[in-house]
Amino acid sequence: MALNHLEFSYDGVAGASIPADWSHSGVVGSGDMEVLLTRKAQGGKVVVKVCTPVCGFDQVWDKVLAHFVAESGCGDLVIEINDNNATPFIVSLRLQQALSEARGGDLQ
Amino acid sequence: MNTDGLMEMSFYSATARRRASQLVDPGTFSELLAPNDRLVSPHLPELGEAVSFDDGVVTGVGRIGARPVFLISQEGRFIGGAVGEIHGAKMVGIFRLALQAYETILDREGRVPEERRPAILISFDTGGVRLHEANAGLLAHAEIMDMIQETKGKIPVISLIGSKVGCFGGMGFVAAATDVIVMSSLGRLGLTGPEVIEQEIGKEEFDASDKSLISRTTGGRHRYIMQDCNVLVDDTIRAFRRAVEEILALPYEEICHYRRIGTYPLVQEQMALVQQAAELMPGDSMDVWRCYGNDEPELLPEWELSEFLCAVRRRPKEVP
Repeated sequence: MALNHLEFSYDGVAGASIPADWSHSGVVGSGDMEVLLTRKAQGGKVVVKVCTPVCGFDQVWDKVLAHFVAESGCGDLVIEINDNNATPFIVSLRLQQALSEARGGDLQ
Repeated sequence: MNTDGLMEMSFYSATARRRASQLVDPGTFSELLAPNDRLVSPHLPELGEAVSFDDGVVTGVGRIGARPVFLISQEGRFIGGAVGEIHGAKMVGIFRLALQAYETILDREGRVPEERRPAILISFDTGGVRLHEANAGLLAHAEIMDMIQETKGKIPVISLIGSKVGCFGGMGFVAAATDVIVMSSLGRLGLTGPEVIEQEIGKEEFDASDKSLISRTTGGRHRYIMQDCNVLVDDTIRAFRRAVEEILALPYEEICHYRRIGTYPLVQEQMALVQQAAELMPGDSMDVWRCYGNDEPELLPEWELSEFLCAVRRRPKEVP
């Protein structure tokens, strides 16, 4: 019944963080999620904390997140996700949007 | 970033955060208790329900000209914008800050100049109390109603209604108690929401899937005709922003004339409306529109807003 808290850690690129201390993106709508990115010097590591009502998808989360970290080439980040039943595709999309907004890209 | 393009954006589909930041002068919005503060609901995790770092409401302060403007902007996509404990406490906090700002200026200068009188804007997108944390949510409604009474005679509170969920449940009462209500045609304002009416009384009484019926009964144009809504605007952030500027340019005493309830003559006017409804026995909102002199009421929802505003006959106000 309670919410699931998952935590993952990946090797990212040292120094490839975001300009501001933190950046937020997205809305926890049904089938959607929000992302809070926090800059943190930790030798390039990317720590992802997921809070989700869904059980039994830890491996899917791991695959999607590992792919995002590798593809985007980010690093020195803490990524916190509040999920509300987002599909893996939406998760990828929202992570990309969050990073591009944090780096000053145009809004959505 | 091109802010002009964003201002043309639909108010209806804008997120709470974007509405909040675009309603004040560019670059002046500071969010208070932002997502970074991670103030999530303590109740939702117990129920296995998703949480949000802002608990579904964006609160902050900005400026319009020299005036400090305190903002509350609800996010309907998070649990229907419903008001839980944290969400409600954030709303109350904004009222306290706005009143403090007023008192500070008053203490320091002995009076509050009109152009610097603080104001509160509430962009509603809510179904009312969050049933998952109902007691705390109800308490929050009561506190907010108290705070609105505290603002009377001091600072204006303006309601903006044009988002997807609309403004229903207890928050319908809250909006009614504010000084001014600005809506778009897409805005919806009421107490019991359409789905709830259908569930309680049946589809024959109220078909919640009939969008036209819902719009005729709770929508901005109906509210404007009935004088429940003071100002009707296009569905852009810019149009809402312009309406707010025009209202705030008025002396506070004049803004207070927009109130629809709260004095004995206004209560009498509402009572006369109840009497009129009992006599007219309308089967549809269009019967009421016709009664106020709109000879072809079925055309009213079809017109462009500018045509509508020129042609519409509103309920005559007995209290000026």
